[in-house]
Formats: sequence, C-alpha cells, structure tokens
Amino acid sequence: MRHYLYFEATVALYILTVITFIFFFAGVFVTLAIWRRGKAKNLYHKVGIAAMVKAFILNVILQLQIIKFSFIRWFMHFCIFIGFIGLLALTAWEAFLADIMPANSALVRVFFNNGGKLILDVWGEIFGTMLLAGLIVAVLRRYVFRAAQLDTILKDTASIVLLLIITLSGFIAEAFRLMAAAGSPDLAYSFVGLAFAKIFEAGGIPVMNYKVFVWIHGLVAMFFIALIPFSKMWHAFASPIEVLLDASEKAGKHEAEAHSAQCSVSCS
Amino acid sequence: MENEVKIDKGTKAREIKIENLSMRQLLELDACTRCGECSNWCPAYEQDEREPINPRGRAHAFRSIIRRQYGLFRPESFLGKLLGKQPVTEEEIKQIAADLYECSTCKQCHYVCPVSIDTVELWEAIRRSIVEAGYGPLDSQKDLVTSVKSYDNPWRQPRSSRARWTKVAKKKKRIKEEPKDISKNKAEVLYFVGCTGSYDVNVEEVALNTVNIFEYSHTDFGILGNKERCCGSVLQRMGDHESFEKIAKENIQQFNDLGIKTLVTSCAGCFKTIKEDYAKVGAVNFDIMHTAEYLVYLIKSGKLELKHEVKMKVTYHDPCHLGRHSGVYDAPREVLRLIPGIEFVEMERSREYSRCCGAGGGLKAGYPDIQNKISQTRVSDALATGASELISACPFCYQGLKVGIQAAEAPITMRDITELVYMSMSGKTETEAPAADEGAEGE
Repeated sequence: MRHYLYFEATVALYILTVITFIFFFAGVFVTLAIWRRGKAKNLYHKVGIAAMVKAFILNVILQLQIIKFSFIRWFMHFCIFIGFIGLLALTAWEAFLADIMPANSALVRVFFNNGGKLILDVWGEIFGTMLLAGLIVAVLRRYVFRAAQLDTILKDTASIVLLLIITLSGFIAEAFRLMAAAGSPDLAYSFVGLAFAKIFEAGGIPVMNYKVFVWIHGLVAMFFIALIPFSKMWHAFASPIEVLLDASEKAGKHEAEAHSAQCSVSCS
Repeated sequence: MENEVKIDKGTKAREIKIENLSMRQLLELDACTRCGECSNWCPAYEQDEREPINPRGRAHAFRSIIRRQYGLFRPESFLGKLLGKQPVTEEEIKQIAADLYECSTCKQCHYVCPVSIDTVELWEAIRRSIVEAGYGPLDSQKDLVTSVKSYDNPWRQPRSSRARWTKVAKKKKRIKEEPKDISKNKAEVLYFVGCTGSYDVNVEEVALNTVNIFEYSHTDFGILGNKERCCGSVLQRMGDHESFEKIAKENIQQFNDLGIKTLVTSCAGCFKTIKEDYAKVGAVNFDIMHTAEYLVYLIKSGKLELKHEVKMKVTYHDPCHLGRHSGVYDAPREVLRLIPGIEFVEMERSREYSRCCGAGGGLKAGYPDIQNKISQTRVSDALATGASELISACPFCYQGLKVGIQAAEAPITMRDITELVYMSMSGKTETEAPAADEGAEGE
C-alpha cells in the first residue's frame, strides 16, 4: 500500500479518482466539441505574443483589472484563485511523490519523512488560508451584504459550498491530526490547523479520527473536479484564454493601425 | 408592449445553428463568470432591470440553449432523460431573441468585463444565428432591414432623392456648389454622407457644414450622390449578415474603383462599419477617417483656420461606434480645444465609459421607450456639467440625444462638432455658403 503524507492510498481512492477523471474529461471533450462547431474566424490580427505574456501576468495571475472596480472583489477572487491553484499544485506534487516516484527515492524521503514535510505543511496552510479568506468574503458579499450586481443561481451556490467544504474539511482534518499528535515537531508549521485545534479544544470538541475528514475532503474535491466542465468553475480555463486572445487582438489591431494610420493625409 | 413575444408554448424550437460563431465566441460564453460588472454599466439594463437583458443574462441564456442542443445532458441523451431535461421551445427562443435585441450594441460591457469578452461581436453573431433560424429580427426592426435591401437606406426613401439635399442647399445658398460627383470627376477625398445625413432634414446641418468646411479648406473632395448606398450597418447590427456581406462587397468594390486616397464620413456608425466590419469582408485601397480626425488634420496643416471665437460652454458625447468601437476619443476633443472661445467640460462618464444615447443596435426601432429613457439619462449627464451645448460627432447620436432633450425639455442645445467648426471658421451661426473670397490662405 502506497502512502500519501498522512493517509494510505486505498484501491477505492484510485477507483474514485479514475471515475472523477472520466467525468471530467467527458465534460471537457463535449465542451471542446461544442467549441469546435464554431467555424468563423477566431482572430483577425497577427498574434501578439508579448501582449499575451503581459496580459497573462497582469490580468490572469495578478487580475489587476478587477482592482479598478473594487479592491474587495479583487482580494476575494485573487485569494480563491491563487489558493485553489496552490492547493491543486500541492495535491499534484503529493500524488507525484506517492504514485510516480520510487518510495525509496531521495525526493520522497525528503518530502515525506524529513524537512520537506514541513514545507508541504506550510504550503497547505498558506494556500488553504488564502482560499478560506476568499471564500469568506464571497459568502459575505453574496449572502450577507447581497451586493446589488450579483444574481445568485444554483451554480454560484454550488461552487462556493463545495469549495468551502473542501477547505474546511482540510483544516478540520489537520486540526484533529494535530490534536492526536500533541508534541509533534510540525505543529508550528501547521499554524492554521493548530488554531483550529485550539478552538476545538477550547470548545470541548473531542478528538476525532482525522482520516474521516481527509476522506470527506478527498471525496468532495473529486466531485468538484468532475463537475468543473459542467459548472461555473469551467471559467478557470475559458476566462484566461479569452483574456489572452483579447490582448492579442487589441495589440494586433493597434499595430495594424499604426502602420496604416491616415497615411494618405499625414504622409502627404 | 410592442415587442411582446407571441407564445407557442411547448413547441420544440428549430435548431439554432452556431457554425457562424467562432470557437472563441463559443469559449466566451463559458468565460463569463456572471460576476455582474456589466449590469452596473449596461444602459438598457439601467432602464429595464430584467436579468435576461443584461449581458450576463444574455450569455447565460444562449449558453443554456447550446448546451441543451449539443451538451452531454441534451434532452434526447441518456443522461438528459435521466435528469429530465426538456428540449428548447419556441417560447424560449423568441424570448431570448426579444431580450437580445434590447441592446444598443454600445460595447460598454466589453470595457468593464474583467475577462474582456468581445461582447458586441458575440451578440451580433448570436443575432445572426437567431435570424438564420427565423426568429429575428423583431417585427418592429424588420422594416429597417427590408428598407435597406429595397431602397439602399433604412428610411424607406427613394434612391433618386439621396442627393436631393445638395440641390436644396445650393438653391437656398447654404452651400456654394453642389459637391462634385466623384464617380465622374476624380477626387482625393470621398465624403461618405450616410443615410441619416442624406435623408433626415433634422440633421442636414451635419452634411452642409462638412461640405462648407471642405470647400473652405479647398479640400479636393466629392460625393457619390444618388449612387451612394447604405453602408450596411443596420443589416450587420440586426444579424442579417448575408445581406450585409453582399452590400459590403459591392461598396468596397465601388470605393476601390474610385481611386480615392481617403474616405471621410461624419457618421460614427458608417465609420465603424466601413473601418472595422468591412475589413472582415475585403480589403480597401484607401484610408478611412471620421470627420473629427480629418478636421484635426485640416486645422493642424493650416488648411483650415479657426479665427472666430465661439463663446460657448460645451460638453462632448462620445458616440459608441466612434469611441468604444473604433478607439477615436482624442480627435473630437482636440477639435474642440482648437476652437477659440470654447469652454469644454467633460461629463462624469466619458471616453470608454461614456453612457450610450441608446439609438444604436436597433434599440431605437425595437424599443423606442427604452431608448428615450436612456437618452434622457445621458442628457442629464450633460446638464450636470453646466454646459449649454451638447456636442457629438454622429448624426445618429444627434437624433438619439434630441429625443432625450425634447422629452426632458432640457435647457441644452444639441450640435454636431462640424457646426462649431463652421461657426469658428466663418463667424456665422447659420449655415450658409462661404463667399467667393472666403477660405484658408493657400493650399
């Protein structure tokens, strides 16, 4: 039995993962098939690589275009986006170490048994905190303050609820693991999990088997991933592509106009 | 309500084909996160707060149609049956079409969209699909389309009277000579008057002032007269792409054969169509300029002297098709700055955030009440500046804003930018032909 950082990789986990990806890729396939029905021209100008790189940094990663309308919206979306990507990368790295690398390799030893483990702890805490912070703002905006521009439908609620369950179950699992392993050297590195543990202790909540929450975390995450092509979260793929295409078109148009700009009068 | 949808409840709709959209446009429907920033800015939604008419609602509704036609959960599929999905009905499509046409194609949504979805191109492509399936345009808009196809103008006026304004103006001594027929006598500049400027006597000042400015500056120009045809803007906005492409190709051929250096038009809609939309149909062998751009050239090159003060406090309304669609923001402002005596004040919303007048995209024909309200809102923006004159650079905006000024009985005068230039150039307030000795020195 292979081991991930804090739990065993069971056959059920692999089967569920395969089912998740079957649904995910079926959704992606159907979506791409719909896109491919479009026969009109996509771009009318020369592809602007430099403009796309710039847009990728400023508008996809940093999402600065949102700040000009609302700092709080930028904070919310940036935290959810970066938090989610960071945690996805952590999961992928962990799966890579557990499932692809030989168990006795130096990399696995470093990350699963030695100091590298603490890096993974901190990694999860930072991005998990960002995701949680973003989700809290999202819930407040949408359901408490009811921002006028929002029109909530099932897809919006489903995305937020699923992400909240994934995030909270991750922290709760971490809290119970830390509560059960009092004195463990990685306590300080799981600072948010530790804070949750202290809240549970103060509230008199008994220590539960953290693996229950790991499974909740994993199952909901799989359901969430399977739903991506059918849900609002598909924008995570479609929106960046559109941002880049738009940047390229604008740059191409600008360049074309600069070459031909009113030459008959300005050049006469 | 004029465009109330006739309900055919439960009847399965004809397939809405999406081949005329691009992959990018289909992706754009998925890229919309329904964040709702567009709803803060959409001029139609501001007046008629129904979710389906704001850009977010439109994208969501059409995406849903596509998914139900071609998605994994389409009603006839196993999963669709399992989930009880229903086929798209005529009722839904007609409602979506009605909502889709409640839009002035002002492009404000593109500029505020965090993902920069090319919204107007998308709406026009969807309108095309709707038209091809036989669900559009709206009854109240069909007249415009039929008129362009039958008379080469949207105003149901005979072709033979297109250049009538030149004869009347000559007779009334408002212009010195009828502009030369460029198809017979070559000239460097083609002045493309446009349908509104040619036929609507309420905005004839635009064409008259432009002609007088050209005469005064000794511009070598001509017009097509009765041979000028609609640019096809109406057809493209309404979604009748096939007819638009035909008229665009014929116009391109006609323009290219003239051997001109520059085409100048005073109409923002014609400018956008000829410069932006024609480029997707065929190549042209000349430059395309809006009058405002050409005026900057004439003034800066010394061909046009603005020697008389025009003591007015003015504000400028950016026509959507000139500003957001074509990126021309500075030229009209520069012209205003170059006119002595003018006090120019910006409205709170200007340039890429300028509020629309509501006249474009078929909205005025389809939803005159909404257009009226949009126009009044824009007029109130202008009044808030304390200006006595509302300036624009498009005969269609001129018409559209006049609606708001009259409805609100607003104490502000609507003027085209060429009118102010004419005043400063001639020192006259009423348009009349320049005297023989008038004109810029030299050439």
